[in-house]
Amino acid sequence: MGDSQYSFSLTTFSPSGKLVQIEHALTAVGSGQTSLGIKASNGVVIATEKKLPSILVDEESVVTNVNQMSLLQVQKIQHLTPNIGVVYSGMGPDFRVLVRKSRKQAEQYNRLYKEPIPVTQLVRETATVMQEFTQSGGVRPFGVSLLVAGYDDKGPQLYQVDPSGSYFSWKASAMGKNVSNAKTFLEKRYTEDMELDDAIHTAILTLKEGFEGEISSKNIEIGKIGADKIFRVLTPAEIDDYLAEVE
Amino acid sequence: MDLLKVNWGRRKHSLFYYLFLASKQLFPLDLYLFSPNPFRFDQPSSSSRLFDFGRMSQAGVDVPAKGGFSFDLCKRNDMLIQKGLKAPSFLKTGTTIVGLIFKDGVILGADTRATEGPIVADKNCEKIHYMAPNIYCCGAGTAADTEAVTDMVSSQLRLHRYQTGRDSRVITALTLLKKHLFSYQGHVSAALVLGGVDITGPHLHTIYPHGSTDTLPFATMGSGSLAAMSVFEAKYKEGLTRDEGIKLVAEAICSGIFNDLGSGSNVDICVITKGHKEYLRNYMEPNPRTYVSSKGYSFTKKTEVLRTKITPLMERVEITEVGEAMEE
Repeated sequence: MGDSQYSFSLTTFSPSGKLVQIEHALTAVGSGQTSLGIKASNGVVIATEKKLPSILVDEESVVTNVNQMSLLQVQKIQHLTPNIGVVYSGMGPDFRVLVRKSRKQAEQYNRLYKEPIPVTQLVRETATVMQEFTQSGGVRPFGVSLLVAGYDDKGPQLYQVDPSGSYFSWKASAMGKNVSNAKTFLEKRYTEDMELDDAIHTAILTLKEGFEGEISSKNIEIGKIGADKIFRVLTPAEIDDYLAEVE
Repeated sequence: MDLLKVNWGRRKHSLFYYLFLASKQLFPLDLYLFSPNPFRFDQPSSSSRLFDFGRMSQAGVDVPAKGGFSFDLCKRNDMLIQKGLKAPSFLKTGTTIVGLIFKDGVILGADTRATEGPIVADKNCEKIHYMAPNIYCCGAGTAADTEAVTDMVSSQLRLHRYQTGRDSRVITALTLLKKHLFSYQGHVSAALVLGGVDITGPHLHTIYPHGSTDTLPFATMGSGSLAAMSVFEAKYKEGLTRDEGIKLVAEAICSGIFNDLGSGSNVDICVITKGHKEYLRNYMEPNPRTYVSSKGYSFTKKTEVLRTKITPLMERVEITEVGEAMEE
């Protein structure tokens, strides 16, 4: 596979003990569009900016199916299983590949154990894939950080997975361009006993903080999961309702 | 036909069992029953070499796992049968499964008896398998095969739905199933009736173990298929209503239950329409099982009690602690 000159790992240690490629990958994440997640007492909400590069981009919604997974041409929040959703900051194509792999792993787990995959297991397996790409020859790390939101027997959970393959459980977190402002805002606003609707309002306010231009249902995406354990991406109409409430 | 394959994954077991058998000096045929798993080439050992006939060159060599079905054990099984070993029978569903298209969609029906030769292994098994929210599949043939194949294709359909964001189509399920069955050349003994309603309308198909398929307005499969088909041929017409359709399917299954030995017990029905499905488990129970006589039992002749002796099975023991308590 290619010249022997290039079949070594691009992530070799630097003298200071860092993996430079991973640092660069984190920079790529840091320049991606802001996304955030908040874990409420009875659910999880994840949200992201969706700034299209030009008004000419066609983002017509494709058919909505039984599982309520409408596939917009540009949809940043994706389902991994009926009760686990994911959003990213960073490179869209890398995200697509990871989502595909994670879905397959979740399905294999389900087939083997006849049990819906617990959120921690799926996060761990996705993180393993991301780590493999930091220790193989001829590949580069993924340029995305993921926020995985799920609700299983252990309750609502929110995890962040980094390009290095490390994962963290968060009560509330943000990634991307506006990360420092967003995190400060969340630290101030977060309370342990927040309900899901409060969390959605807080998420919208946090996005608004660093938003360039007018915030509307067309340039943000929100996904939520409640005690019903079904992950849903909110329709533009629902987002408009929440925006009106926040005003 | 991997009937006689026994998995001895652990080296220690093999060695021990060989010594045990050698000491008992059993008929050598028994030794052949415990050959190592052909898919695990990473376990060469002195004991496994003793059992390994014809594949000794591979012991100790790391052979990468290849895809597809390995027919090595089939040759061994044939040899054993020629030597006179009777193959154990596997769980067949000897079955009646039917499907028909009615005005608004598809109705599938099945009996609930699973047989193992002349014995009823399961009096109330489920033969209508879930493939997708809008697609169900009845299975006849070897129970393990139908379960495994429908499970696998159902899993593939789910992944496909996530990728495309659309509902699954019946023709997709059909193609995935027939590709799989054809590649196994009929060794996966699953005869299926696949029905569902998708964006292109209601569909009903039959799939044979070798991988051929039919598209029909009404279909029957299994050992009771002729009994059920006679009912369909006489009474089916296009544009049946839901109730007429259910009645006809129940009649066809009952015809299989009462006239075929391999089918029996209850009737399961599944009605699939656009955007909605109803799984009527045990819709009819024409063979109720009475376990206890409702009248109760009375013994006319009284038996004389000559002697009574009661032996307690548990003894009550008193524990008294003597001496000092143990030091930590």
